[in-house]
Amino acid sequence: MQTPVTIPVPVLRLPRGPDGFSRGFAPDGRRAPVRPEVPEIQECPIAQESPEFQEQRARAALRERYLRSLLAMVGHQVSFTLHEGVRVAAHFGATDLDVANFYVSQLQTPIGVQAEALLRCSDIISYTFKP
Amino acid sequence: MAMRQTPLTCSGHTRPVVDLAFSGITPYGYFLISACKDGKPMLRQGDTGDWIGTFLGHKGAVWGATLNKDATKAATAAADFTAKVWDAVSGDELMTLAHKHIVKTVDFTQDSNYLLTGGQDKLLRIYDLNKPEAEPKEISGHTSGIKKALWCSEDKQILSADDKTVRLWDHATMTEVKSLNFNMSVSSMEYIPEGEILVITYGRSIAFHSAVSLDPIKSFEAPATINSASLHPEKEFLVAGGEDFKLYKYDYNSGEELESYKGHFGPIHCVRFSPDGELYASGSEDGTLRLWQTVVGKTYGLWKCVLPEEDSGELAKPKIGFPETAEEEIEEIASENSDCIYPSAPDVKA
Repeated sequence: MQTPVTIPVPVLRLPRGPDGFSRGFAPDGRRAPVRPEVPEIQECPIAQESPEFQEQRARAALRERYLRSLLAMVGHQVSFTLHEGVRVAAHFGATDLDVANFYVSQLQTPIGVQAEALLRCSDIISYTFKP
Repeated sequence: MAMRQTPLTCSGHTRPVVDLAFSGITPYGYFLISACKDGKPMLRQGDTGDWIGTFLGHKGAVWGATLNKDATKAATAAADFTAKVWDAVSGDELMTLAHKHIVKTVDFTQDSNYLLTGGQDKLLRIYDLNKPEAEPKEISGHTSGIKKALWCSEDKQILSADDKTVRLWDHATMTEVKSLNFNMSVSSMEYIPEGEILVITYGRSIAFHSAVSLDPIKSFEAPATINSASLHPEKEFLVAGGEDFKLYKYDYNSGEELESYKGHFGPIHCVRFSPDGELYASGSEDGTLRLWQTVVGKTYGLWKCVLPEEDSGELAKPKIGFPETAEEEIEEIASENSDCIYPSAPDVKA
């Protein structure tokens, strides 16, 4: 008895499975509710601000406060708490653009005073100063 | 050149799939929901099997799942003693309906205004979805846990199945109209509104009854214990699956077995035709859903028909390739696909 030669039906691809990190129902999916157009800023009174707009304003305000705090620290004695329970004090000079490094002078370390030093932000847990 | 069925495996569930349901045909196509013992029912695009989202919230195995006609709402029945109603577009939970025992079955009315539930507490409950705080109407009478409950006759009647009986109730009077007794456990029930047909499976039998009178129409015997069967919308075919892991397709008029397919790695718990009849989906103990073509070789969804004459160059070559071991190859690819590590939240097991 000869079984006829068959070829399996070709498929374009397999069904997509879960993405593994979200519950799905993509907001840009086929049936997503249409989002209303964001109104022009001039026409929009404060009372009708969208939550996203308010959030961004809050973020901007907090960022500005932080940058001003860094300005206020210049030339002052700052006490840094580092990892492993290490505490050091120094005169604050500046940070770089991304606030990844702190440029300090007269850094008091357990092995002596360092005239100029760069402290890595990732090594710093917290810092405090009196303006 | 004869074409061989290529099932599409939908992975993602981590435990047996115990129930599945299609929506009606909507402007966005049709959708499929699967109930799983992992407690995370999933919504998929019906014609491709693509995952859309997972309904998160149940704290136990989900035994029943259904969609309303336009797939805007979903309902699930779970071992955590609740039935939940969901927004099927956003995935948000809309309502939690507390029960006194494991809930096994849920069904929307055509207008989505009422939800019917049934479970181990042996009560049928009707919830008014516009008044979620109101107490549901209860119908008692079953003497064992309810496995399936369905609206029928344009929502004027209710069909419910427990272990050994199928009962017909009048919605308005909340009283029993008729009942059928079986000496074997009823494994599944499907209601076909057009023609008022009821499909019941028990043992190796697939039986068809009138949904109005419960009078028997015909029945077929399968080679193995059947857990679920579904009748094609045009009533030309029926498909059934059960304990031997195989899917069977029969001619409804003659009862002749037309096709049978191996593929699942465990017993098949549920099988349903899509609303357009072009494919059927099966859910298994192996944790997968598979989509099967009704007419093998037709271009539909992800299946792309290739005529042998065109197949000289790469143009017609399918991306998967077709050596004789295509089935196993597809399984391998499917398992690559399915290894999306679903974040295992420390949730409570059933």
